[in-house]
Amino acid sequence: MKKNFRLVLAALMVVALFVVAACSSTEETPAPGAAPTGAEPAGDDLLAKIKADGVIRVSTDPAYPPQSELDPKTGEYVGFDIDVANEIAKRMGVTVEWETPSWDTITAGSWNDRWDMSVGSMTVTPERDEVLQFSTPYYYTPAVVLVHADNTDITGVATQLDGKRIGVCGACTYDFYLQQTLEIPGETIEFQIDDADIKTYDTDSTAVQDLSLGDGDRLDAVITSITVGEGAADKGKPVKIVGEPVFYEPLAVAIDRSSTLDGASLTAEVSRIVDEMRSDGTLTALSDQWFGQDLTTKVES
Amino acid sequence: MTERDPGVASNVDRPPTASSPGGKRSFEERSLAIPFRAKVAAVWIFIFLLLGTLFAFASFDQDWMKENVAFIVRGLWVTVVIAAVSIVCAVILAGLGAIGRLSRNPIAFGISGFYTSFFRGTPLIVQMFLIYLALPQLATGLHLPSGLRDLMILGPAEAGIIALSLNYGAYMTEIFRAGIESVSHSQREAAEALGMTYAKVMRRVVLPQATRVIIPPIGNEFIAMMKDTALVSFLGASFAFMEIFRRAQLLGKADFRNLEALVLVAGMYWALTALFTVFQGRLEHRMSKGYVRTVKFVSGAPGDGIGGGALMHVMPAEGQPQIPEIPSGGDH
Repeated sequence: MKKNFRLVLAALMVVALFVVAACSSTEETPAPGAAPTGAEPAGDDLLAKIKADGVIRVSTDPAYPPQSELDPKTGEYVGFDIDVANEIAKRMGVTVEWETPSWDTITAGSWNDRWDMSVGSMTVTPERDEVLQFSTPYYYTPAVVLVHADNTDITGVATQLDGKRIGVCGACTYDFYLQQTLEIPGETIEFQIDDADIKTYDTDSTAVQDLSLGDGDRLDAVITSITVGEGAADKGKPVKIVGEPVFYEPLAVAIDRSSTLDGASLTAEVSRIVDEMRSDGTLTALSDQWFGQDLTTKVES
Repeated sequence: MTERDPGVASNVDRPPTASSPGGKRSFEERSLAIPFRAKVAAVWIFIFLLLGTLFAFASFDQDWMKENVAFIVRGLWVTVVIAAVSIVCAVILAGLGAIGRLSRNPIAFGISGFYTSFFRGTPLIVQMFLIYLALPQLATGLHLPSGLRDLMILGPAEAGIIALSLNYGAYMTEIFRAGIESVSHSQREAAEALGMTYAKVMRRVVLPQATRVIIPPIGNEFIAMMKDTALVSFLGASFAFMEIFRRAQLLGKADFRNLEALVLVAGMYWALTALFTVFQGRLEHRMSKGYVRTVKFVSGAPGDGIGGGALMHVMPAEGQPQIPEIPSGGDH
């Protein structure tokens, strides 16, 4: 009797893990229009499954205005990327369901089928290309140098930033630019800043916050996209853009290479739709609406 | 605390005229007339005024805060649900873990030992990422059937709840173990002498007494856990299930008002824990009822109808320190 009881205890220990799993599964929220995981996918083609479900799951990082941000009043995501993703879905005849994982989880690939594609202003780099498939770029942003509004020393990029403390998002293109390892297919990049004291942040806007504390307090400059720089200045942050853009980056829709279903046809379909949106003026109209300028065609630097 | 006053006063053997020249009462005497709680309240008010002044100098964007506080508040229920579900699971795990730690069965002892060692020895945030990222990859590698694999592809909230439960369960295993061990051996021996089985000894004698000891630290763990739910935000969150820290981060970053957003959530976490501290105080008061001597002991009444009457007689009541009443002011 006593012995049996102890054996049962040992079994209980093993079962403990499953108890927790059960506890948490009751927690699964009945999200509106949750992905019908039970439905049998049509063959092993991702595009066919999306069309069969009528839903495409798109990841976005809503801390990145004006590309993607959350409107606290409506609880909806708004921005350039959001509009582009919705338009792509519309032309596929499906609706968008948003996922908001952290940015480095998106760029790292291996999405484990949690979402189907990223419309998140992702720069095409050779490293990312190993784990992600990219569509045709849907727009191009200039990367610029941002300094505090009070700063008068830094007027250009060429030599005045050497050895300065520069804030960037960690493991993003601006970080790689300062490390002088950035490669972008089809672009020649001139590394003008040497020996920068690189300070990495979770995302660009945190770096901008730190810069706005005061000139040289924590940072001397920030490198980010022109859209973030202008957005910060518009929202009252004491920062300004100096000099010419340091490089231009093509931004594209990304699809996981390691997904269970084959994403090649989805990538091709997205590229076709992006080309169509560029030629019929939809992209330009959205760019004008969100950025006040047309960033949808490649600028020769 | 006012009952202290007469005690202090009686120490001073003072004739009415000699206490102070001019018939005026000394500073100490006048101070004693003010209730202790009123003085504490004054200190709190002073600190709040000081903070409020500093707050004004920090030039936060208060319009932004007023505009967005409602959006962040709407995530409070998620924070509370994540913490509450996790603490329940953690208590279950800790119970099993403690039984394992106290068991003479090498399998149970080994498993629970490994469990507490690993989950106390690695950072919570790492555990969260492991559960979120590694489980699906494991399922893929094992070529599990797709239904089972889908189960292992957890959302951020589910992965967070599992990590919180496992992590806090490991810490609380030690609390439970200590609580059970704190019950004197003579209690067990007495129960065994009455012919109770191991399970019955646990259920009827040991656990009821251990519970009183482990309730305060569990409350403490729950308070810590409520704040650690913020870590879930690093896994991302679906819109429907977004807790307050994630909400603050998104809004703060989007509008370049990180600091304002953080001040808002800090206030909310504080309010949550203060509220919980009140409940914790009441619960502790209730649990310690058997140990607070307010009622005169009725001699020669073994079956006087009070639940657990037998226990009360067994306990060496005069040796027990009284559990101090927790002030409900939330100053924990």
